[in-house]
Amino acid sequence: MEEREKTKNNTEMRILGFLCNWCSYGGADTAGVSRLKQPTDLRIIRIPCTGRMDPLFAFKALISGADGVLVSGCHPKDCHYSVGNLYARRRFEVLKDFLPFLGIESDRFHYTWVSASEGQRWQEVVTEFSRRIHELGRNPGFDMNTNLVNSEAR
Amino acid sequence: MRIGVFVCQCGTNIASTVDTERVAQEVKKLPDVVYTTTYMYTCSEPGQQEIQRAIEEHNLQGVVVAACSPRMHEPTFRRAVEKAGLNRYMFEMANIREHVSWVSNDREANTKKAIELVRMAVAKLRFNQPLFPSRVAINKRVMVIGGGVAGIQAALDCADAGLDVVLVERRTSIGGKMAQLDKTFPTIDCSSCILGPKMVDVAQKENITLHAYSEIESVSGYVGNFAVRVRKKATYVDWKACTGCGVCMEKCPSRKVPDEFNEGLSFTRAINIPFPQAIPKKATINRSYCIYFTKGKCGICAKVCPAKAIRYDMTDEVVTEEVGAIIVATGYDLFDPSAYGEYGAGQYRDVITGIQYERILSASGPFGGHIKRPSDGREPKDVVFIACVGSRDASVGRPYCSGVCCMYIAKQAILTKDHIPNSRSYVFYMDIRSPAKNYDEFVRRAQEEYGVQYIRGRVGKIYPRGDRLVVQGMDTLLGIQVEVEADLVVLATGIEASRGARELAEKLHISYDQYGFFMENHPKLRPVETNTAGIYLAGVCQGPKDIPASVAQGSAAAAKVLALFARDTIETSPQVASVTERACIACGKCIEVCPYGAIRWKELKGGVRKAEVITTVCQGCGLCNATCPPKAIQLQHATDNQILAEIEELCA
Amino acid sequence: MWSEITKKLQETVQNIMPQVEAVIGWERGFNEIRIKPVVIKKEGDISKLVWNPFCVQNLSGYLVKSPAVIPREGRRVAICVKGCDSRSVTALIQEGFLKRDQIFIIGIPCSGTVDWRKVMKRLERSSVIHRAEIKDGRLMVEHAEGVEEIPLREILLRRCLRCVYPNPTVSDVVIGETVSPHIEKEDLYKDVEAFERKSLDERRKFWAETLSRCIRCYACRNACPLCICQDWCIAERRDPKWVTQKPTLKDILLFHGIHALHLAGRCTECGECERVCPMEIPVMFIKEKLNETTLRLFSYEAGIDSNLVPPLLTFNPHETGI
Repeated sequence: MEEREKTKNNTEMRILGFLCNWCSYGGADTAGVSRLKQPTDLRIIRIPCTGRMDPLFAFKALISGADGVLVSGCHPKDCHYSVGNLYARRRFEVLKDFLPFLGIESDRFHYTWVSASEGQRWQEVVTEFSRRIHELGRNPGFDMNTNLVNSEAR
Repeated sequence: MRIGVFVCQCGTNIASTVDTERVAQEVKKLPDVVYTTTYMYTCSEPGQQEIQRAIEEHNLQGVVVAACSPRMHEPTFRRAVEKAGLNRYMFEMANIREHVSWVSNDREANTKKAIELVRMAVAKLRFNQPLFPSRVAINKRVMVIGGGVAGIQAALDCADAGLDVVLVERRTSIGGKMAQLDKTFPTIDCSSCILGPKMVDVAQKENITLHAYSEIESVSGYVGNFAVRVRKKATYVDWKACTGCGVCMEKCPSRKVPDEFNEGLSFTRAINIPFPQAIPKKATINRSYCIYFTKGKCGICAKVCPAKAIRYDMTDEVVTEEVGAIIVATGYDLFDPSAYGEYGAGQYRDVITGIQYERILSASGPFGGHIKRPSDGREPKDVVFIACVGSRDASVGRPYCSGVCCMYIAKQAILTKDHIPNSRSYVFYMDIRSPAKNYDEFVRRAQEEYGVQYIRGRVGKIYPRGDRLVVQGMDTLLGIQVEVEADLVVLATGIEASRGARELAEKLHISYDQYGFFMENHPKLRPVETNTAGIYLAGVCQGPKDIPASVAQGSAAAAKVLALFARDTIETSPQVASVTERACIACGKCIEVCPYGAIRWKELKGGVRKAEVITTVCQGCGLCNATCPPKAIQLQHATDNQILAEIEELCA
Repeated sequence: MWSEITKKLQETVQNIMPQVEAVIGWERGFNEIRIKPVVIKKEGDISKLVWNPFCVQNLSGYLVKSPAVIPREGRRVAICVKGCDSRSVTALIQEGFLKRDQIFIIGIPCSGTVDWRKVMKRLERSSVIHRAEIKDGRLMVEHAEGVEEIPLREILLRRCLRCVYPNPTVSDVVIGETVSPHIEKEDLYKDVEAFERKSLDERRKFWAETLSRCIRCYACRNACPLCICQDWCIAERRDPKWVTQKPTLKDILLFHGIHALHLAGRCTECGECERVCPMEIPVMFIKEKLNETTLRLFSYEAGIDSNLVPPLLTFNPHETGI
């Protein structure tokens, strides 16, 4: 709890979660059923598999004002579709390495594996990621909606 | 689109930490949303009728229910909107219970979060399309993996209903752990007397194909149409010819083979039939002890076999079985007590495990049913049982209760008194768990009729004194140290997931928990279904349970298979990939990554190639969609537009 | 030296002409420093072919992208490639867009190509070039206002200054002597590394400023031989709606993100994207970063081995630490 108070501000951060239907969405449900308290910043989008996760979804979210993007799927080798997460983790690694090149903190994107039974692990993942995003603060972004025709770049 | 939003209060489950009224008012302001309301229990009959009434009255084209997890009630509400004439895919759920009301008490933040989740659901719904399932034929054969009592029950029930059953057993005989038990609680009936006839039934049913000494190599396909490759391990005996006469076993000169069935308490031969009631009653050569294989010459079994069944050149064989459903009943293994150094298991020969004691008690066991100490063969007078060895102990990674130990200790203590009337039994326990029918009465009988001394407390140390063992522990009820001199110590080792359970789960694409037990779809409402359609669970592979519960679950799994097979075809989900042909640039990347081979080339006029989805093979993972550069292939119901709409609703 | 290679090139083409349907090469443009692609289909046109450091274009795109020169069944198309271009050809073979036996590859070792914009900047007001000649590592330009001599190194394209594959990696015939790379392989990503030593704020500011020049003309995408979506590029389509037409930095960045991430693990660093950019945005720099990533994570370089599968189109169950 002491950790939470250290965060830069009390306002909510814009955090998107992409969770695979079979493991992590179930894990988040398990956490809920077990009443495991979590920060409230996260908004979850259900996807069938992390293999469905085009890294561009996370990229677009992060340049559109999301403060953090969390992706979670089945543990490697446990993918409901056998290998979706194995393709995905390569793509996520590349994205994670790419973001700081553009000036976006690598930590704003995180991917992990949580099974449907790991409610407690989900609680830990959400708590830790939310804490990290609060520590980073708002994603300064690129003055994204600036109309370039009428204004100079920053 | 005319959208209606129904915000469920779920009694107070949601309403206590989410202002549902405000959610309904706020989302009413969204474009396309023409009707919103709250309801106490939206999933109830009147709740569903309320949705149907609103669809009619307000001419709704899409419905959002903000309630519990879609994993819980999405099918319920899809049926409800379908009854009112909407396509079932014109429906979305916002999970404001498991993901909102239950994980935070901050009413303000929860309400804001709920509003945003509904906004996202509405944004997605705007891009929903009516979808229609197709149907594929069901292959009405079922595979049962594991031939313990749960698997046997499931196989017999399916076979009785007329199904073709393929039963796969890892060991050389079916029977599982129950076949090793002497008696069963709380009735003290003979385990092999009640299991034996069922095993014989398996052998005699013409519609059961038994693959013993076989393991699952790989599993492909989907509900209704699985293809399972089964590795039949080499037995070096032609089982078609073997009559099970046992002459080979008698004559085999390799006599120092630890007997697995007797838990290492006696020896068997390199060629053996594991126990007299084995099904199939066929001999198998244990290669690592066979003199022919280790030294290169012997061949006695081949010489003496009257059926000429010995085949030293036999190799593993892989067969493919096509089935429509799979019941997994792979059972369990027992905790290795050497983690408790203070108990001296493996160090002192008279510290044994519960299952070893079970073999000692058994008339077909190593000592012919006479209770003897493994060390010197002396009959013990004082026997100590220690409960919770590898159960309810987080320090060894086993925080769960194995559920059966309290009962089997009581049984073994009673049997000890029956065998040796002047013996004394002591039980060190933490709590007694005896909740089922006639169980607590049984434990009381052990205490009151049989004089078993129950000492509440943990054992700290076991050490030898002369040829006996001193068990030092704490009686926490009296608050004193106790010391019991024992001739034999029985550790009630707990249940753990079967070795290889995780690997099997990976082949089947089913989930398992942190201990390796397979995950059921819902702990209460779908206890025998897995997350993978067409794969069911029975017995301890799903979690610790006793024989009655395993048998019941075996029958339950069989009933699920019979319900599935009651129809000739099965609906396949329309949530599959679909190609916009004109946008397909024929790069073939989707074909390359598809885990199911569900995408192929289609030749158009002029030799132009386009990707084509085989909808019955596609499982809807969306890997192709993520991979396709021009996004010509879209996963229905999770299209780019739908996901982008959700992102934009939140980020714009 | 260049005329010698040009002569050899013409002779080679003369010899193979009967076996091939067409030869994709370079010819002189409206002046000596502006070269343009040419497709030779008859013997009489062979004399148009040239080779010199102004032959900047990567021609491999013409094998697959509209208007492509697609060989008929059982026939071949010949293509002239520099070292960098040859990697694009390999990548296209690797991804199944081309069959090796459909093409005849004329490889030409290249010691660097000239950025005409750098030349024109040197000439300042004068834009009319009468004559240009490269001799002893210097470019001599006779123009309307006089004669200018420029050391070649000062006017090479950025891609050439960091070239490690100057010699064709795949070819049926090689014309000219093997040349040595401009830099050592371990220095390949030193620009990326230097940039990454800047603060996140500086990096963000750099891209915000640089990309705000982008007019979304899509020249970078069109010039890329591996950007194969063409008319179906999601940056220009509105269904699915990834990018809007609004002239915002977000949409520009999204387009460049799509372009770069679609090329992750595929880009052969031919630098055409950057060369053709009318706004002089270092477009290739983004891809250099991704190539640095895929090299480090997967030990993979695109367009080297046609038997390998690009790293993001496959997986390795055993890889740990990623």
